[in-house]
Amino acid sequence: MPFRSLNSRMVEAQVLPGQRLFSQRGAMLAYKGEVSFTPSITGGQGGVMGMIGRRIANEATPLMTVEGSGTVMFGHGGHHVHVIELSGDTLYVEADRLLAFDGSLQQGTMFMGSQGGVMGMVRGQVTGQGLFTTTLKGHGAVAVMAHGGFIELPIQPQRPVHVDPQAYVAHRGDVRNKLSTAIGWREMIGRGSGEAFQLELSGSGTVFVQASEEKL
Amino acid sequence: MNGPVIHDAHSLPVNDNVNPYAFSVDLDGQWFLQKGKMIAYFGQISFHGIGHGPLDRLIRSSFHSPLHAADWVVAEGRGRMVLADRAFDVNSYDLEEGNLTVRSGNLLAYQPTLALKQSIIPGFVTLIGTGKFVAASNGPVVFVEPPIRVDPQALVGWADCPSPCHHYDHGYMRGVLGGVRMLTGFGGTSGEEHQFEFVGAGTVLLQSTEQLMAEQPTGAPPDEAGVPSGGTPSTHGNQPSAPRLPGQLGDLQRRFGL
Repeated sequence: MPFRSLNSRMVEAQVLPGQRLFSQRGAMLAYKGEVSFTPSITGGQGGVMGMIGRRIANEATPLMTVEGSGTVMFGHGGHHVHVIELSGDTLYVEADRLLAFDGSLQQGTMFMGSQGGVMGMVRGQVTGQGLFTTTLKGHGAVAVMAHGGFIELPIQPQRPVHVDPQAYVAHRGDVRNKLSTAIGWREMIGRGSGEAFQLELSGSGTVFVQASEEKL
Repeated sequence: MNGPVIHDAHSLPVNDNVNPYAFSVDLDGQWFLQKGKMIAYFGQISFHGIGHGPLDRLIRSSFHSPLHAADWVVAEGRGRMVLADRAFDVNSYDLEEGNLTVRSGNLLAYQPTLALKQSIIPGFVTLIGTGKFVAASNGPVVFVEPPIRVDPQALVGWADCPSPCHHYDHGYMRGVLGGVRMLTGFGGTSGEEHQFEFVGAGTVLLQSTEQLMAEQPTGAPPDEAGVPSGGTPSTHGNQPSAPRLPGQLGDLQRRFGL
């Protein structure tokens, strides 16, 4: 458990020799001990191929490698920070919401269009997430940022969860997501409820939602 | 659903937070406060601009930023006064025969038993003595003990540490790979090349984000030999003289003598 929440907007991470962390550049607030911050050219793991993949997927966010021994405090932009512990499962999150994560986690990108075909692509457009999202897999912790507080909603089989695409932060587990629309004649004449698009998540897992409809 | 909390003159907290963003002062006598930070009051309170009039003695004993005086007022009387600043987190701190240096924009109000002085470090003010003061921060404040290195934007202030100094981390610009990085700009910078370092005994106050509050002028120190930034106003930010080329890491190279 390298991350510890100091308050709603700050986390403290233990850095031990031989282990490394990735964090968003410029998100370090303070540190104790001998710690070095190196801008990661490849933006994470997987070497050059990983970098190219992320560039193509537009999931390349400026990251830095944090190494050494000591404690580091992270926080960024006044956003709320939530620590998610992964134990072998996969977290799906937008790269720019990552504040810091364990170097032991496997980082990848996933094509969202593969879930839901054409509607999946529309979904990417509507949510502003694009067609790709970042995946983190393995054992370790991730500090994720959100505008406003975090709400964790469990997803159970037969009990899908609908969330506003703008409030969606991340999800984990075996979850399928699709965009559900409720467009009727009201939307056509401009008298919509403003909730025409919703993200429907089904399967079993957890979805994280922020208490705001503002994107980062 | 809970409605807003309703307070009257008696149920307002005594020298405590109303909520994270507002602080209630139980006034009986005088307090110094920054202009425009009072949002409401009960009771008989008058506000005097300082720098003239009957408050001369008070100003002499507890206000030592002569050119900064226009930004402060004295609240005088009895009652409860609520302070807030643009929905930033507000906290009160007690000093007992102590000293605390804080970023000038973050200080909202203080008891006249404390003396406010310009810090030698530009942009900061120091409070000395015994009493209570109220300061704002962007996000909750975290107290840490030295030795620690702090991002300049996250620093709110420090108490009892006599040694704030600059620290540079640029190890990654050295060596062969560093040379390639430096020449091509490939990989960019980490944004964490510069910290404030604190050692010794004391407490350092951090805010939870890297967004600063607007700085208040502290007044220029006298133009004397040996006074840091005396006379000439300090220039903020390094203005690059030529447009930056893609292969440059900006001013970092020059600063580190690379």
